[in-house]
Amino acid sequence: MINLRDKGAEIWEKANRPQRVIMAICFIAMAASLPFMGGTILNTPIADYESVLVFPVAMFVLMAIGLNIVIGKSGLLDLGYVAFFAIGAYTMGLLGTRTSLNTWEILPIGIAMAMFSGIILGVPALKLRGDYLAIITLGFGEIVRIVALNLGTLGRSEGILGIPTPPPVFGIEFTFDSHRIYYWTLLIIILLAIWMVRRLSVRRAGRAWESIRQDEDAAELMGVPTFKYKVWAFVLGASVGGAAGVFYASKTLFIAPDNFTLQISILILACVVFGGMGNIWGVIAGAVILGYLPDRIRFLSDARLLVFGLVLVIMMNLRPDGLLPRKKREKALPSKEKS
Amino acid sequence: MSSPILSLKNVTMRFGGVTALSDVTFDVKEKEILGLIGPNGAGKTTIFNVITGVYQITSGVIEFQGKSLKGIKRYKITRGGIARTFQNIRLWGDMTALENVMTATDTHKRSGLVGGLFGSPVSRREERRDKKRAQELLDFIGIGEYADRLAKNLPYGVQRRLEIARALGTEPKLILLDEPAAGFNPAEKVELAKVIRKIRDAGYTVLLIEHDMSLVMKVSDRVVVLDFGQKIADDVPIKVQDDPRVIEAYLGVPEDAS
Repeated sequence: MINLRDKGAEIWEKANRPQRVIMAICFIAMAASLPFMGGTILNTPIADYESVLVFPVAMFVLMAIGLNIVIGKSGLLDLGYVAFFAIGAYTMGLLGTRTSLNTWEILPIGIAMAMFSGIILGVPALKLRGDYLAIITLGFGEIVRIVALNLGTLGRSEGILGIPTPPPVFGIEFTFDSHRIYYWTLLIIILLAIWMVRRLSVRRAGRAWESIRQDEDAAELMGVPTFKYKVWAFVLGASVGGAAGVFYASKTLFIAPDNFTLQISILILACVVFGGMGNIWGVIAGAVILGYLPDRIRFLSDARLLVFGLVLVIMMNLRPDGLLPRKKREKALPSKEKS
Repeated sequence: MSSPILSLKNVTMRFGGVTALSDVTFDVKEKEILGLIGPNGAGKTTIFNVITGVYQITSGVIEFQGKSLKGIKRYKITRGGIARTFQNIRLWGDMTALENVMTATDTHKRSGLVGGLFGSPVSRREERRDKKRAQELLDFIGIGEYADRLAKNLPYGVQRRLEIARALGTEPKLILLDEPAAGFNPAEKVELAKVIRKIRDAGYTVLLIEHDMSLVMKVSDRVVVLDFGQKIADDVPIKVQDDPRVIEAYLGVPEDAS
């Protein structure tokens, strides 16, 4: 099977700077024009196409990018990622309905809250590894949901109603059904997240995470402060999840504990694994497909989840490393080394 | 020879009922190559593990440059100037040779994650400096042309040497080599002996575990012999070779003969 990832990387590496800028602009333009494709084959029967683009597609992409920092880059299995999404959403819900702060002002607060909870969870949990870490994060995800279900201020099972939409920016109104505007705003947040991850990947933090993922003991013995970088991975992953949560609450206007079940954590994890752990483009592709597919095949009604599951099983058998796996290829060898 | 850089005083290490090291005392002097030998299971790698903080010793004292290493975190011991290689190669296979060394050079960076994210001047400068330094180290060890290859795809001998380059990347004062010649052919061993001397001549102190007697005897300034967790000899190579207790340790039990 051809390796799409290597093909892509080859084209990118051969390109000079202006060519890269053009490629990036084309890519962004393509992503930005998606809401206009409603009349084509991309249209989702039954579900509102533009609304599907916002949630789940763009939301999944953003969360998958965040989770990829934790799982793909640093190799820490986090099964409770939805907790950060929920914390962002409830921060928005609570502050949006009780104070006069608007979405843009709450966004940094929501991110900060998610990061802070990332520390709260990370510091005790990251002393453990592998399966034990997975179990603790799983528990954390449930704790957050159950707290929301039982705390009066958070509305118990009724959740929070009447969360305000974002105020206009440069005269652009965010109304309940202006899906395109939400989509483009999310696209900007996604681009920021991509920038952050790519920037970190090639520097010290990226190397530290990579070394932790591959051999944590060796990393520690080579002077990498492993614990610190693991907490950082958690906190950065949480920040992206928190941002997604704030925006989600401000879009749907209503949140309840049912929106934040374990299933979301697992779906996002599936996006990361399906797309290719550790490779941001793969993860994005995975999230787009897994977010979009269930709505595209909605006409199958009850059979759609069966088909969805089948696609997952077949794909993971054909490409166990994901759609676009992480770097396997090397730069061209000096000719004398070729043997 | 000058003052000791590392000293072990009455070091004992027990795992449950098993005594891996019993009352071991020796010094590593500055800028020497100290060979550490002994039959299988004598406790050589355990010595490395207690020095680098993988195990906490049961009793005794380990001092590095006059300071006790007791309770210091592993990565801080490395920062303090002790680096090691592993008996079974433990490189980061999915990273290139250069990245492997750069991860080690990151140890002494002042800028961290935040600086890297926003591209602070310090971070950029350090990144450039370390890339150069990592390439220098690869060249120094003689594997410079493999810089951009993934570690897992490198030939075995290059992987062994990359481990040394990576350890040097942490800018240690003392480097611990755990059987660097394991699996080498005679020609490669000669080559390695040169590299080890070169490392010492560059100002590092070397503590060397090795099974190949001829290599150890040739390259070491002094040799410490362990047997069943106890030190049985500590002298210059010539005298150690003739020590009856050493001969007995090696030849007395047939399956341990080398």
